[in-house]
Amino acid sequence: MQGYATKLIEITEQSADRIALQWLKDVRANPKTPAYHNFSDEKALSHAVAFYKNFRALFCTDKPFEAARKFFTKYADERYSEGIPLHEAIYALILMRRHIWLYAEFQAVFVTAVEHHQAAESLTRTILMFDYATYVITGRYEELMKREMEERIRLDSKAGSFSQKLIHGGHAK
Amino acid sequence: MQAVATKLIDVTENNADKIARQWYADVRKNPKTPSYHDLPADRAIPQAVDFYTKFRGVFSAKNPFDEARRVYAKYADDCYEKGIPLQEAIYAMTLMRRHIWLYAEFQALFVSAVEQQQAVESLNRTILLFDYATYVITERYQELMKGEIDRQLGALRALGMEESFTGSKVGIMACLLVACGFLTYYYHAVMASGVIFTHLFYIPIVLAGVWWRKKGIYVSVLLGLILISSHLIILKGVPLTDDLIRAIMFIVVSAVVALLAEGFTKIEILYKTVPRSGAA
Repeated sequence: MQGYATKLIEITEQSADRIALQWLKDVRANPKTPAYHNFSDEKALSHAVAFYKNFRALFCTDKPFEAARKFFTKYADERYSEGIPLHEAIYALILMRRHIWLYAEFQAVFVTAVEHHQAAESLTRTILMFDYATYVITGRYEELMKREMEERIRLDSKAGSFSQKLIHGGHAK
Repeated sequence: MQAVATKLIDVTENNADKIARQWYADVRKNPKTPSYHDLPADRAIPQAVDFYTKFRGVFSAKNPFDEARRVYAKYADDCYEKGIPLQEAIYAMTLMRRHIWLYAEFQALFVSAVEQQQAVESLNRTILLFDYATYVITERYQELMKGEIDRQLGALRALGMEESFTGSKVGIMACLLVACGFLTYYYHAVMASGVIFTHLFYIPIVLAGVWWRKKGIYVSVLLGLILISSHLIILKGVPLTDDLIRAIMFIVVSAVVALLAEGFTKIEILYKTVPRSGAA
């Protein structure tokens, strides 16, 4: 895995800031990511840079699902706390992936037939990582929504009124 | 694009049923799709067959996002209706995509260098479609969840009659209270009886609790006072115990209704504010 993917990983790691900037331009204007249109540059960039810097660890691991779970659970937690809707959080991530490939193509990383073959394999591996990412993020968002709901009900119940306890009982059922 | 992809599309369309069955065998035991483990074949397989037969339309569309929205919103509706969680619905679709490629590889569709190049192009196009599909399905699920909550809340709103009685609640309540006063006088003074008619008092009591929550208890207190005053003035020789119990019951019922109504309001607020992932 390490062998054929080295080129893509290296270029992603080394150019993390540059790719992240291109990604930022995209999410800022993309109609599918309106939550990012007024988001702070610094914060948004940190999302992308974190992803690109961790790309090697996610790509080269022996347990890709476990690595994806760890990284993308954190990604989901952060996006959720920032109030980014689920479909936009996922689409922003999809755009991060696309910008790796756009950058790689622009840099003519894969030219020869052998390199094309490597590109195909790298692409397959990247897609696998993103399949896991989508799974982890959607699951985590659902969990966070449930947790937030339960927390609110718990706080309401603590306030002590009978009606609030009534809701808690009803919800628990 | 059409020429490059024809091979993949043809094989997918012609073998839709076979690929769908392989997919079904996968989702049946995949630990990431537990909702499919007990889903009968006649409910799951047609979904995959439908997906594979529509593959050409989405793949070859000039405007792939619009076509993806049309096709995959329906997929989301279907999964939602089956009670499949979002993450599993998306993962099941991911497996559908993988099974296209597994089948294509098994059939050795892309062997020569040119075919390998075509495979890469087909793969890129497929991934683009699935990116759109993921976006559409996630967005649609949130819409459906919101819709379901709104429908459930609609029942609560109907109970509160927020929309139908705006501005006239006080008038309706005044009419009902006058009617109750008249009934009290009629039964106490004319019929010299205290039976049955007080049951009708629960109509304004319940409505007041639903409309004004705790403040609605004042209506039950007022009705209790009317009943007891009338009794003391008109039915002087008759023991007060029955009407006293009735007056207390008015307040108890009113308090329960008010608390329930408050609970409903609270639930409505919680549902409206919590699903932040649906916030646009």
